[in-house]
Amino acid sequence: MERRSFLKGFGAVSACVALVPTIASAADDAKKVTGPNEMSVESALAAITGGKPVTPSSKVSLSAPEIAENGAVVPVKVTVESPMSANDYVKAIHVFGSKNNNSRCANVYLTPANGEASFATRIKLGATQDVLAVVEMSNGTFLSAKQNVKVTIGGCG
Amino acid sequence: MKTLVKIKPKDYNIGDIVKIDFMAMHPMESGMRKDKDTGAIVPAHYINEVNFFFNDKMLTKMVTWESLSVNPVLSISMKVSAAGTLKVLAKDNKGESVETSAAITPKG
Repeated sequence: MERRSFLKGFGAVSACVALVPTIASAADDAKKVTGPNEMSVESALAAITGGKPVTPSSKVSLSAPEIAENGAVVPVKVTVESPMSANDYVKAIHVFGSKNNNSRCANVYLTPANGEASFATRIKLGATQDVLAVVEMSNGTFLSAKQNVKVTIGGCG
Repeated sequence: MKTLVKIKPKDYNIGDIVKIDFMAMHPMESGMRKDKDTGAIVPAHYINEVNFFFNDKMLTKMVTWESLSVNPVLSISMKVSAAGTLKVLAKDNKGESVETSAAITPKG
């Protein structure tokens, strides 16, 4: 009997504990300011790929710092191994911050005249998150690379 | 919007791959930041389109969003095929547009 009542009590306590964070996050959501172009990384990706599979590839190299002290300026560089010939080139490089309000950072459409598929810029990251690079090749396949960036001070003040 | 285009390195020949840096002085407001004094949300103001042309032929087209840092720098590569002019057209979401150009002068 004792064991049974203990388990009941424990169950009730854990249910309460589980509830508290949901209430807290709901309050946070109400306070949250949504930007004009709010879009999650899933829907942004779906709009670009049209449902085609995106495969992580070692051909795509994404360099970003592992720890960014200031989320307002995070240098990101994407390079893709490609001959950049008229028949085989990188069509586009898309950079996303997976947890930003608007996950899209830049969509870069290249041509064979670029000679080398590379793109570098500095982005804002609101919190610790994955930076994702999705690359569209001229044959219609999508490759990707991602890196987690720890942000100590958010950049979306 | 003040802009600048830099070609690196300074000396290059035909066939070389050079790096093009486009820099702009722009606040890149996300539309989510609150003014510290008034508490009102500062409206979004960001560069949303940057197009690179070499001798009036499209080299690279970019769609950019407010998640780029303040005073953004955008770098790409270009294979030098001839002498000519590199032109960069940048627009922001308030309709301001700026054209910047740089001369491509290969040595050989």
